[in-house]
Amino acid sequence: MRRGPLLLTFLSGAAIAALFFIPHYRAQAANSMLLEWTLVVYAFALILGSISLWNSHARKVRNRAEGWGFSVVTLVSLLAITALGVWKGVGEGTPVDWIYNTVNSPLASTMFALLAFVIASAAFRAFRARSVEATLLLVTAIVMMIGRVSIGELISHRLPGITEWLLDVPNLAAKRAIAIGVGLGAVSTALKIILGIERSYLGRS
Amino acid sequence: MVRSGFVTPELDTRWFDPARLNVLIGILLFTAFLVVNIFRARAKGTLYVRPIAGLKALDEAIGRATEMGRPVLYVPGLSDMSEVGTFAAITICARLAYRVAEMGCDIDVPCYDPVVMTVLDGAVREAYSKAGKPDAFRPGCVHYVSAQQMAYVAAVNGFMLRELPAANIYMGSFYAESLLLAETGARTGAIQIAGTDKVTQLPFFVCACDYTLLGEELFAASAYLGREPIQLATVIAQDWAKALAAAAIVGALVLSALGHPALQTWLKVA
Repeated sequence: MRRGPLLLTFLSGAAIAALFFIPHYRAQAANSMLLEWTLVVYAFALILGSISLWNSHARKVRNRAEGWGFSVVTLVSLLAITALGVWKGVGEGTPVDWIYNTVNSPLASTMFALLAFVIASAAFRAFRARSVEATLLLVTAIVMMIGRVSIGELISHRLPGITEWLLDVPNLAAKRAIAIGVGLGAVSTALKIILGIERSYLGRS
Repeated sequence: MVRSGFVTPELDTRWFDPARLNVLIGILLFTAFLVVNIFRARAKGTLYVRPIAGLKALDEAIGRATEMGRPVLYVPGLSDMSEVGTFAAITICARLAYRVAEMGCDIDVPCYDPVVMTVLDGAVREAYSKAGKPDAFRPGCVHYVSAQQMAYVAAVNGFMLRELPAANIYMGSFYAESLLLAETGARTGAIQIAGTDKVTQLPFFVCACDYTLLGEELFAASAYLGREPIQLATVIAQDWAKALAAAAIVGALVLSALGHPALQTWLKVA
């Protein structure tokens, strides 16, 4: 039986939910303290994460799995950054800061820049007029794209207004309907976990 | 009170915020719906929940992966344990891992958050035990990747292109990386099923995936996969609450139009 974790989940979940309704300064101080505790848990979990990362890549290198060279780069980088961080610190002007700005940030920006191309290819696939709904999507997308650029107003002065209406009425109505469902679903999931109905996260159903 | 030129703010000594009474009533009503439906489920033994195509396709996806001898990739989103979407992703992963273990397939779960990784590792390990195949659990199948968004995307995309998983399942909270992941997965020819509570990312998943769970379907997924009456009762309670919310919105709208905005004002969350 796992009564301990279930009881702990119930007590902490109920306490955090109750603190939402209690504005008393002592209750809010307790709330802040509980949130700080999560940082301590996170710090310990980060050690487990690093061990997992090391084991995962070390296994690939040992087995000479496909792409094992990348794993060597990961392991060397992990060791180097950790050593530099401990030795020289992580503040502004330190080697870690320099590596972050000159290696990490440009690499992340490059990955992010790929988004423009994948949006184009995804749009190409999605906008094929295979059904009534897909055709509706295609027409709406064309109106939206033309209406949001300067040439749209040249074609028809009503186009920008139509795009605004599309965004503010049908689009917003659908978004809010989904948002209400998400909100209720979140409350439902939270209650299921607090009341112990949902236990699969503990490895039990 | 003025002391040394600084103004000390008044300390709040109230034990209840009346501005949040509406939220409390909403939660109590929801809990009542839940209790009523749990009793109904116990009495009837089963409850009807409409089929969700994306969840029905999960078995198909695992079967395809088993036949092809390729792994199933499960991406649990890029949020921490403070997001309810992450909890939903964990519960779905546990159910999915059980089916994967039953069918003798392999699963790979790259994680963005170390706490989520620890919880998922335990859940997947237990799912294999529950399926009667504890030895089939591969240590390291749930692994940490990076807490940086684009580094995570690069690693997962690399895995997709090298290992060519037969099925890619994206469940949880996603941000700008959603389309980068799903589009790469689509190019590898994998069957893709996504579910997220982030409304802004839904269109990207709809475009690039074969099946998408829209918002609340993500939270209903665990109950749907488990098929246990009490779990299904929570989904029906959710539907009742949705009907009540719709009635309240329509009521507030009509009353406001008639010049009585009291209900509309009361429904606003402080």
